[in-house]
Amino acid sequence: MRVTIDSIGKSFPGVVALGGVSFEVHPGEIHALMGENGAGKSTLIKIVTGVYRPDRGRLLIDGAAANFASPRDAIAAGISAVHQERNLIPRFSVGENIMIENLPIRRGLVDYGEAHAQARRFLDMIDPSIDTRAEVRRLSVAQMQIVEIAKALSLEAGLLLLDEPTASITDHEAQALFAVLRRLRSEGKAIVFVSHKLEEVIALCDRVTVLRDGKVAAAGELIAAMSRSRIVSAMIGREERVAEIGPRTFARGTPALEVRGLATSLGHKDVSFTLRQGEILGLYGLVGSGRTELARALIGDARILAGEIRLKGAPISIADVSDAVRRHRIGYISEDRKNEGLILAHPIRANIAITIWPRLASRLGLLTRRLEERAATPLARKLDIRTPSLEQQVGKLSGGNQQKVSIAKWLAASVDVLIIDEPTVGIDIRTKTAIHELIAEITRAGVSVMLISSDMPEMITLADRILVMRDFALVGEIENERRYEPMSRRIMGFIHAGLEAGESQQEASHG
Amino acid sequence: MSLASDIELRSGRRAWLSEQSGAIGLAGIVIIFWIVFASWAPGFVSPFNLFAISRTLAIDIVIGFSTMVVLATGGMNLAIGAIGVCSVMLAGYLMQKLGVPYPLALTVALLLGALLGWANGVAIVRSGVNSFIITLASASLYTGGMLILSKAVIYNALPPAIAAFGRMRFGFVSPLLIVALAIGAALVVLFRFTALGREILAAGANARAAQLSGVPVSRAIIVAHTLSGLLAAAAGLMLLSRLGAAMPSIGEDWLLPSFLAPVLGGALLSGGSISVVGAMIGALLVTTIRSGLLIMQVGNFWLLLFLGMMLLLAVLLDRYRTVYAERRSLGRRA
Repeated sequence: MRVTIDSIGKSFPGVVALGGVSFEVHPGEIHALMGENGAGKSTLIKIVTGVYRPDRGRLLIDGAAANFASPRDAIAAGISAVHQERNLIPRFSVGENIMIENLPIRRGLVDYGEAHAQARRFLDMIDPSIDTRAEVRRLSVAQMQIVEIAKALSLEAGLLLLDEPTASITDHEAQALFAVLRRLRSEGKAIVFVSHKLEEVIALCDRVTVLRDGKVAAAGELIAAMSRSRIVSAMIGREERVAEIGPRTFARGTPALEVRGLATSLGHKDVSFTLRQGEILGLYGLVGSGRTELARALIGDARILAGEIRLKGAPISIADVSDAVRRHRIGYISEDRKNEGLILAHPIRANIAITIWPRLASRLGLLTRRLEERAATPLARKLDIRTPSLEQQVGKLSGGNQQKVSIAKWLAASVDVLIIDEPTVGIDIRTKTAIHELIAEITRAGVSVMLISSDMPEMITLADRILVMRDFALVGEIENERRYEPMSRRIMGFIHAGLEAGESQQEASHG
Repeated sequence: MSLASDIELRSGRRAWLSEQSGAIGLAGIVIIFWIVFASWAPGFVSPFNLFAISRTLAIDIVIGFSTMVVLATGGMNLAIGAIGVCSVMLAGYLMQKLGVPYPLALTVALLLGALLGWANGVAIVRSGVNSFIITLASASLYTGGMLILSKAVIYNALPPAIAAFGRMRFGFVSPLLIVALAIGAALVVLFRFTALGREILAAGANARAAQLSGVPVSRAIIVAHTLSGLLAAAAGLMLLSRLGAAMPSIGEDWLLPSFLAPVLGGALLSGGSISVVGAMIGALLVTTIRSGLLIMQVGNFWLLLFLGMMLLLAVLLDRYRTVYAERRSLGRRA
């Protein structure tokens, strides 16, 4: 399928999202669409898939003008997409969600056996471990993303658009996805691929179109002819800043958080590790390996069945989240900012101060806006949260600024230990560097950070030490030398090692 | 420092105005109704009717508050009528049968209201079941229990001070209205200026995010329901003072006005956003319409139809506001 985007424009009240964008996607190619947050990528995808109607310009499919009134029309025309936001029905099974656009019918009734069999086929392309009969709401964020991808694949469309498909899945699953995409390309399908991860774009795509502020900054250039830095400068309008988190020094002796023989209701059996003061301790693993669940247990959001947790040497017991936060000063930043991290409808001021409301209140028990401002203002300034006012609703901020608010509220709480889950998912490259610097910065002030990330370059940039988790157990520990090639090879070695090998390494790491 | 600058103050004031725009619009509607009723039925603004309005309004306001504090958590309380009547009947029993002095009897009755609300809250938090179902069940449970224990008698030989308070008037204002306004002021302080009130709102806006930020969400929900029970009992006792008798039929018709006042006043049904002043103006609208139709001798049937229509309109407005708020808060990602 050949798709021609011909000077398409789209405005929203107060914003020109797209100002006359033109380029062409050919059959049998993977076409990268790049740009920072707010550059217009998602708007463009929504126009191509019939979610929005363009204000100006035309969309041509194989040379014929297409005029989609709804997403249904686009699907009928052979276009399918994985959008950035979830489009799954939580209470339906995985299989039903994948096949929802064309459920197999037999004698007027849905043929569930056939539906699950077909769903299985598409799911197997990426991750055979997901059960098609499981309810979607029971899946992890990454598994849901895989279901979204399988759903898009199931339409067997001529044009497949993927908006940040790898944002929350691991390298392993991403590689499986890329294999599928390469096969579709060889079958003559057209693919549009949106990603913030330059490495995968360069490895996967044939040509690249870069959007900046709703305009085309580079149209259909051959990837082979574009260097990494040329793509980046097209995106941000200047040269890339290399992530430089400065020399890392921390007192190697003082443990901030010690975990010994931890068993949890979520499935961890015997987890032991030490987080030192001012350290960034990475926790790497495949999706579903139990990293987020470990974080949940440490902040009192899951039952601890056995084992010992020591904070600055003293054994503690954690009754619930509020106990972990307010008494023990352990904070957690969820990977799901919108649902678990921030209260989008409330102002920045309240989102930062929420962790310290009881502490802020005056002797009369009164908590005024002024007191909240006094606590939030220096942090907003320090973290460079870009906003006209602290009264701004958090939901109106960009992803990067939202993440800064998430970090600010834990700085406000003056936590000793901060667990950060996927800190830069869906955050553009410029802000990503700023977030990385910020994380390094707070550890210099004495906060000990446990970093959960599926982004290997991020892990190797930031972490001082990396723990590898597989099947709810720690299977390896590596001192980070910050050299990408050997480090990533060693980490993947732990993940793919046989069971015995993994266990012997775990022994070694404890020794 | 730019954050504390003029721009910030101005945008703060603008935000405050837009927050209040709903209440201002609602007040406009109330004024229109007053003009219409006053010109069609001169009896509407007679001192006698104004006094009657102030007494009913006081009770409507507190009934509305009772639902509002639970709406703040994103839940609801269908048992406020049941809690109100239980408290009233207990107060009547204590004063008439046991001869308990009225300050003590009223205090115990208020505590019973709080206790019944607390039980709702605990049941909701412990079971994880939606507050709609829990309070639907407890409404029948409380009313049934009250009828069994009281045998549905009417206590009408109460200390004269009770009815005297209900008849008292300052000009054409009942002291009951002053009680309602004082409760309103206390709620403004709670929800604007205390950690507890803010925690209740945060739990309503996004329970999971609030919990992961260290807010004891379960406690916030229990407190909100306890407060709701206390306010329901207060409304019941105010009604007791107006009627001068404790009757088992009290509270039967509270449900509709209890939702009307806060929802008209701008409380989001999804939780996290309420307006105390708005709920008071909402209650004023309900009372105005009820009194106006009464004065114009339009039947009760019409009144019900009218109020039902208003709730529907208010809910549609709420729906529109939620969609609008979502669109604004999520912004336009491109």
